[in-house]
Amino acid sequence: MTTGADSTRKGRRATAVDWEQFRALLVASVRLDLRSTRMQRGRAAKFPPVAAAFATYLVMGTLLALAVMSTEDIFVFSLFTLSAAMFMTALLVIMEYSSVVVHPDDFDILGHRPISSKTYYWAKIANLGLYVAATAFALSIPAAIVAGVRYPPGAALTAVYLLVALAACQATSALVVLIYSVAIRVFNYEKFTRAITYVHTLSTLVIVFGYVLLPRVLAKDVMLISVERGAWVYAMAPAWFAGAVELAAGEAGRQTLVLAGAAVASAAALIWAAMNTISLDYSRRISALATASAKAVEEAGRRRSLGRLGLPLCRTDEERAGFELMRSYMTRDRKLRARIYPAFGLPLAVYIYGIITDGLHDPFVPQAVSGGFPAHQLLGFYSVFITLFFATAIAQTDQWEASWVFFAAPVRSRAGIVTGARKLIIWRYLLPFFVFLFILLAFAMPPAKAAMYVLLNLLLALTAFALLSMTSPHMPLSQSLEKAKQARQIGLIMLLGMSMAALTAILELMKQVPQAGLVVYPALVVLALGAELLLRRRLDRRLAGEEFPG
Amino acid sequence: MEDGARERATDAAIVFENLARSFGEIEAVKDVTLTIPRGQICGYLGPNGAGKTTTVKMATGMLEPTAGRAIVEGFDIVQEPLEAKRVIGVVPETGALYTTLTPNEYLALVGRLYHIDRDETEAKAHTFLELFGIEDAADRLMTTFSRGMKQKVLISAALLPNPSVLFLDEPLSGLDANTALVLKELLRDLASQGRTIFYCSHILEVVEKVCDRVVILVRGEVIADGRVEELKDMTHQGSLEDVFSELTSSEDLAQIVRAFSRSVTGDGERSA
Ligand SMILES: Nc1ncnc2c1ncn2[C@@H]1O[C@H](COP(=O)(O)OP(=O)(O)O)[C@@H](O)[C@H]1O
Ligand SMILES: [Mg+2]
Repeated sequence: MTTGADSTRKGRRATAVDWEQFRALLVASVRLDLRSTRMQRGRAAKFPPVAAAFATYLVMGTLLALAVMSTEDIFVFSLFTLSAAMFMTALLVIMEYSSVVVHPDDFDILGHRPISSKTYYWAKIANLGLYVAATAFALSIPAAIVAGVRYPPGAALTAVYLLVALAACQATSALVVLIYSVAIRVFNYEKFTRAITYVHTLSTLVIVFGYVLLPRVLAKDVMLISVERGAWVYAMAPAWFAGAVELAAGEAGRQTLVLAGAAVASAAALIWAAMNTISLDYSRRISALATASAKAVEEAGRRRSLGRLGLPLCRTDEERAGFELMRSYMTRDRKLRARIYPAFGLPLAVYIYGIITDGLHDPFVPQAVSGGFPAHQLLGFYSVFITLFFATAIAQTDQWEASWVFFAAPVRSRAGIVTGARKLIIWRYLLPFFVFLFILLAFAMPPAKAAMYVLLNLLLALTAFALLSMTSPHMPLSQSLEKAKQARQIGLIMLLGMSMAALTAILELMKQVPQAGLVVYPALVVLALGAELLLRRRLDRRLAGEEFPG
Repeated sequence: MEDGARERATDAAIVFENLARSFGEIEAVKDVTLTIPRGQICGYLGPNGAGKTTTVKMATGMLEPTAGRAIVEGFDIVQEPLEAKRVIGVVPETGALYTTLTPNEYLALVGRLYHIDRDETEAKAHTFLELFGIEDAADRLMTTFSRGMKQKVLISAALLPNPSVLFLDEPLSGLDANTALVLKELLRDLASQGRTIFYCSHILEVVEKVCDRVVILVRGEVIADGRVEELKDMTHQGSLEDVFSELTSSEDLAQIVRAFSRSVTGDGERSA
């Protein structure tokens, strides 16, 4: 094995970029981005998913900019809007890594053609750059306009803000690319294929830590947005870029200069480093990720029989079929797991942060907001956030064509199959997550309170899971993966998630009126059951006449 | 370019020297040594899983050999990948294409990757697609294409850069009988112009009719190599089919089939 690898490395001489090939590859990949991979038979390709994602981000960007424009401080305004844009970019590149950075078929199509690694990676980097630029633009143009209208010196600030936002998002995507390539180099290939999902989760965690400021600031005072600038700004990547905007707005204090300098330096360093990582060889590795070797699958199948214990939860054969199907896919389809696991990164990061800063305390007792980080105020949001990932992700896989069996098999209730798949998710992933959460919180508050609190979140999560499943009324694993399809869904998730912040009102109520729990819990149970019922009706109606889309 | 000329003095278009590849425990290809002269159509024949695709992947720079070398037109595929890849055309087994492009767009992309003049690419694309009878679909997205239609585009793409060595891995998959005939004629014509063709297949009759020479691979090892007639003489049997089944199967085929059909009908259980 080593001899072959060594001689190849020797043979991979430094070759210049072939610009004609570069242009051809870039044009082709942009074309691929703009087209829907799935043609409805007879009908022309619909609105491409990239355009839909773009529209979603535009709405998100607008809401964000409007939400924080009350602040007088351009630094605070930029901090918020840039944090959100950078966070979204990171999430997007992580979640869609295998399709955003390399097309899964690239290696089979291009591997035997005379293209140097360098040419290939320049084309890929340019493609990624364009993709990130487009989303960054959609997310940031509303904020850029608001910045120009609201803050001095006016129109010129719009241009500067936009430039800074583009640089910030490109640097963020470069960071994700780097995390991946380091992971590929540190682990050997076999280990990497196994580690990839954890790498995903870990990178979400790392990135989220960079953005915990958002809830922190929100918690200080929701209405009057202001920030006490301390030394922490030097540790916050979005603050660097906000500093650059502030500099353009005419503030030239020492801190601003340092921050702006850090922004320029980090963007340059990250982008430069990322540009030296992708190669055609890399695309082979990524495409091979999908095909687990038979041995590994066998092992995995044996290891994960725990999920089976939940089988009695299923009442019909259809439910059992859906349950088993989802279980085996979650075990075998690494890409599916890689798309879902990162969802745990955000809440985990927040809870861990809460514990480190000693900010998790009894949520049902009114408390002065001064000290610590009241993570639980936003817990509703995080719990719901995870659920939403599952709701949108379980419909999609690379191997969606295998779903013809649902349409061919004489099943009485197709909705039953979906219900079975959802039961697996609840049993195997959501329940363990909330149990874990309970254990974590029990360190920070009386166990009874922790249990009450976790139950509250679980009920909200189940309601959200049912509601969100309604937006994607398909058989499990029956939809193809498309570049940007998930990006659009993440956009929707974030939009919905924002509105979940209103759930903190429930907590407020219970703080003020301790007996409210007697009403709140039954009400939430009814809500969850009602949502479930609504979902089954919708599934029954939607799936009855559905045909195999292939 | 010049540095390869030294070895090009020989007549060999493809040379495999002790080529081997394993995947963990599985030895997919074991120590294959072959020399294929320019202008030859060499059939590479073997049952499923014999290691044909693995050999092609190593020869075309898509897979690193565990041991040995592959030299194409004098260029070592590992040491001089770009030079070697410039002279080869590949029809891969996977049939991978960017299906959200149209045939014309895909061929245009391939043309530009080999620095072929735009007009020339267009003209060639038109000729190929017409030859294969899919010119009507030239501007339709390939998402709706059948396997055979995609295969036609793949073959066109492999021929477009005018390669001197062609690697075809199960090129007939999905093709109808008529197109198969067209392809056979095309291959003969190319060989008569001095192109070398490495033709992988598990189907005997095609190889028998098209190829000058047949190499039989079983479990990663070359077990026979010669002209069709020579192989027939070797085993004193009528058709290559018999030769093939004699060489590749250790058990009596008829016996296996009988056992199988018994298990299907359930006779075996009852009599036992
Ligand atoms: N990427 C791979 N990982 C593990 N085993 C492989 C891989 N590719 C091929 N093999 C194994 O190598 C052997 C030869 O495969 P292949 O070359 O595709 O055979 P053929 O093309 O003759 O049907 C088979 O046993 C196959 O399972
Ligand atoms: Mg094969």
